[in-house]
Amino acid sequence: MALRVLRVIPPLIAALLLAACQTGAPSPSVVASSAIPSGASGTGASAVPVPATHYPVVVTDDAGRDVTIAADPRRIVSLAPSTTEIACAVGACAELVGVTDFDDYPAQVAGLPKVVIGAQVDVEKVVAAEPDLVLAAGNGFTPDAILSQLDDLGLTVLVLYPQSADEIGGDITLVGRTLDAGAAAAREVARIDDAVASVRTAVAGADRPRVFYEVGVFEGQIFTAGADSFLASLIQIAGGDPVTGDATTTSLALEDLVAADPQVILLGDAAYDATITAETVAARPGWGEMTAVADGHVLPMPDDLVITRPGPRVTEGLLALARAIHPDRFGG
Amino acid sequence: MRIAVAPIIEARDLTFGFRAGRAVLAGVDLAVRPGELVVLLGTNGSGKTTLIRLLAGTLRPQHGTVTLAGRPLGDWRRGELARRVAVLPQHLDLPAGFRVAEIVEMGRAPHAERLFGASAGDGAAVERALREADAAELADRSVDELSGGERQRVLVAMALAQEPELLLLDEPTLHLDLAHQLSLLDTVMRLCRAGLAAIAVLHDLALAGMADRVAVLDRGRIRADGRPGEVLTPALVRSVFGVRMTVATDDEGARHLVLEPRATGRVAGAG
Amino acid sequence: MRAAGTLPATARIGALVGGPSLARAAIVLGAGVLLVIVAVVVGVGVGTSGLAGPLDAAGILAHRIGLAVPVSWSPGAEQIVWELRLPRAVTALVVGGGLATAGVVFQALLRNPLADPYVIGTAAGASLGAVAGLMVPTLVPALALGAGTAWWGIGLAQVLAFAGGLGTMLVVYGVARTGGRVPVVTLLLVGYAISSVLAAATALLMFFAGNRLGAIFGWLMGSLGGATWTDLALATPLVAAAAAVILVRWRRLNLLLLGDGPAAHLGLDVEREKLILTVLATLATSAAVAVAGTIGFVGLVVPHLLRLVLGPDHRLLLPTSFLGGAALLALADTGARLAGGVPVGVVTALLGAPFFLVLLRRTRAIGA
Repeated sequence: MALRVLRVIPPLIAALLLAACQTGAPSPSVVASSAIPSGASGTGASAVPVPATHYPVVVTDDAGRDVTIAADPRRIVSLAPSTTEIACAVGACAELVGVTDFDDYPAQVAGLPKVVIGAQVDVEKVVAAEPDLVLAAGNGFTPDAILSQLDDLGLTVLVLYPQSADEIGGDITLVGRTLDAGAAAAREVARIDDAVASVRTAVAGADRPRVFYEVGVFEGQIFTAGADSFLASLIQIAGGDPVTGDATTTSLALEDLVAADPQVILLGDAAYDATITAETVAARPGWGEMTAVADGHVLPMPDDLVITRPGPRVTEGLLALARAIHPDRFGG
Repeated sequence: MRIAVAPIIEARDLTFGFRAGRAVLAGVDLAVRPGELVVLLGTNGSGKTTLIRLLAGTLRPQHGTVTLAGRPLGDWRRGELARRVAVLPQHLDLPAGFRVAEIVEMGRAPHAERLFGASAGDGAAVERALREADAAELADRSVDELSGGERQRVLVAMALAQEPELLLLDEPTLHLDLAHQLSLLDTVMRLCRAGLAAIAVLHDLALAGMADRVAVLDRGRIRADGRPGEVLTPALVRSVFGVRMTVATDDEGARHLVLEPRATGRVAGAG
Repeated sequence: MRAAGTLPATARIGALVGGPSLARAAIVLGAGVLLVIVAVVVGVGVGTSGLAGPLDAAGILAHRIGLAVPVSWSPGAEQIVWELRLPRAVTALVVGGGLATAGVVFQALLRNPLADPYVIGTAAGASLGAVAGLMVPTLVPALALGAGTAWWGIGLAQVLAFAGGLGTMLVVYGVARTGGRVPVVTLLLVGYAISSVLAAATALLMFFAGNRLGAIFGWLMGSLGGATWTDLALATPLVAAAAAVILVRWRRLNLLLLGDGPAAHLGLDVEREKLILTVLATLATSAAVAVAGTIGFVGLVVPHLLRLVLGPDHRLLLPTSFLGGAALLALADTGARLAGGVPVGVVTALLGAPFFLVLLRRTRAIGA
């Protein structure tokens, strides 16, 4: 029993990032002490001059907490691959002093000390890294108990939990503000906005097929994008109508999936497991009835990592989704 | 022999039933004085064990009274009672791993004065109890290695370590061979000569014949109570136990009870 | 034979009475204390960060208790030793000692060597309480106000775990009670039945747990990872008081091993004593579970192992079990930390079970 449980945990934790936030935190993230608009304002963002951050500064994170940043952080620990990528995207890669053993991008973080191993935060290693800022992921990805322990130790913790492509931009803006890297953040947000706008343009007017994105199937439980999650928002931008799971667990009953009858099935888990293919999916009991299977629209998604990781490479993930859903709009 | 001292324990008009309308004991009177050994005889189901439990305070009578040293049993606190009355039960599994001396020391629990250690008085009492129960050489042995006879001696020693004024024995010879049965009875009789009062449930008429006094329970009532020679008559034995018995007197004038190997049929009704 | 055997035997008995000799008790207890100290020193001087080795740790501790020691370590090292490793090691002592003591009590009460602190449903009740506590912010958003969601839930989970453990015991005891008595078999059966109901309720809650599932699994598997001085301040007095009162009742525990009837004849109010001991053991268990989750093995095997070595006399068994459970859990938790945060129950079982088996076989071989 316990071992079965252990096998399920890592995917469950990964799925948490795909779930909707239930905690009533203000979203999208906003910088509390200034009126900088989030990245949602479109392509013109890069033209707006970004003021430098004056410390101490109080920012509100995605858990709704007001976090005081005393001085420009020089030593940053990142507890999730997505927060690592966001830090690097605003030019703070060199300031990272601790990451997870799952971090793989950008390549230079591979050599950094690992403070999260096997999804377990080693608090002692976090403290030993002497960070002046800890970036954590929300919705339980970084466990609540760890967050409160880090708080008790007097560490400055910023929780990031974007629920849409726009909110990824908002988080990048938030981190830029925190690290006095507003200009770099604004450029990143503009790049993402541009990518979103071009995908929107490309799929404009097309049919919106019902899309089921398979994050994983464990012990008969099916995990996909949570309702109102950023993955669901990506599928929408990419011109699909997402079949979503439970808002917090991201799980979905097979019966509900069959009832939703997706027209496209995207296999995110096929990126890690070669046995998951269109053929094996068709052979699963009950799956053969779905339109996507009957029409042959079951596709492995080798780019799963950038699709399900809410970081700056969301642009690549979005493009991969759009190409999979509307191959005709991208010239094959 | 019978001295005019007050009884240590006295039961008057005891009535007890586990179910309403079915009395196990009815109107039982029994008084035992210091120095007396009373053997309680009776068929299975005659109420012997129930009487012992009433006298030990484990059960409360529905009617009648039990007084210990003149005070109703119900008025005694448990600890006080345990300093006066010891019970040797029909059956006791000695907990594994203890040494005999440790088990016997448990008998000192009602007298315990020290939080962790044992007082000099405790030590002396344990030593005396072991000696009196003929278990001194077992003191350092593990209870797991004892034979049935040795275990019984250890239990007697534990009861004696309580330094009771009244010892209640419920079929103490059940698991003992003949020699050990005699030895046990001999021990108890010796202690009684030193002032102990004892009530022992036995099944063996020959053993009972050795005691000072025999009380016979029949269907919840005391049928006879007195010296063995007066009580254990062929008529009573036949009537109570359904067994034919003759009394023989040997050349030296000692009386011997001789049982005949055929039941009379009375037993069948003696549930 | 009687006359011949009496005299030398008498001389011997004098030394035997009074249970374990003072010297033996002193040696055994001294060894236990030493083991606990070693466990704490190792737990405080070793870690995953490579910072703050044993020497630094010793210096930091000396510095913290007010000794004039030259400071040769970084503030991070001090924080790691004082706020991470030490509370964790001390929590392990409190939890391990409390569980082992409770195990001794339940094994004696039920006269069953397979009894552990969770046998009458304490763990199931505490688990349900903890899971409910962890989920309250999800179920009742109004309670998630203030500093976010987690902070509230952590404290609440511990309070509810404690209440759940204690409450379950009282319910089980109440249901099992018939005619003023609590027969052992009935107690076990009722405990099992009520545990099943509570486990089902826990599973049901977990079904709706959503993003709390990770936190819930972490709690259910047992961990000392979140140990803080605040937790300790709550659990330590409870465990210490319960263990002390249990220790003072060692003689009564010995009597209970004789069985209900004989114990009553030795002056014990058996039913009352059983209730008192059950409440005390459950207090210790619930406090331990509230801070560390359900850690298995320690409460079952430590008392059993020490009984094999030292004998069943509770006078020695209770304090040595406390020390043994404390040291075992502290050492196991150090191992768990170094192994990258595996559940400490896994380490106790992996290390302890083979040792226990060897001892069991050797003791049985000698006995036979």
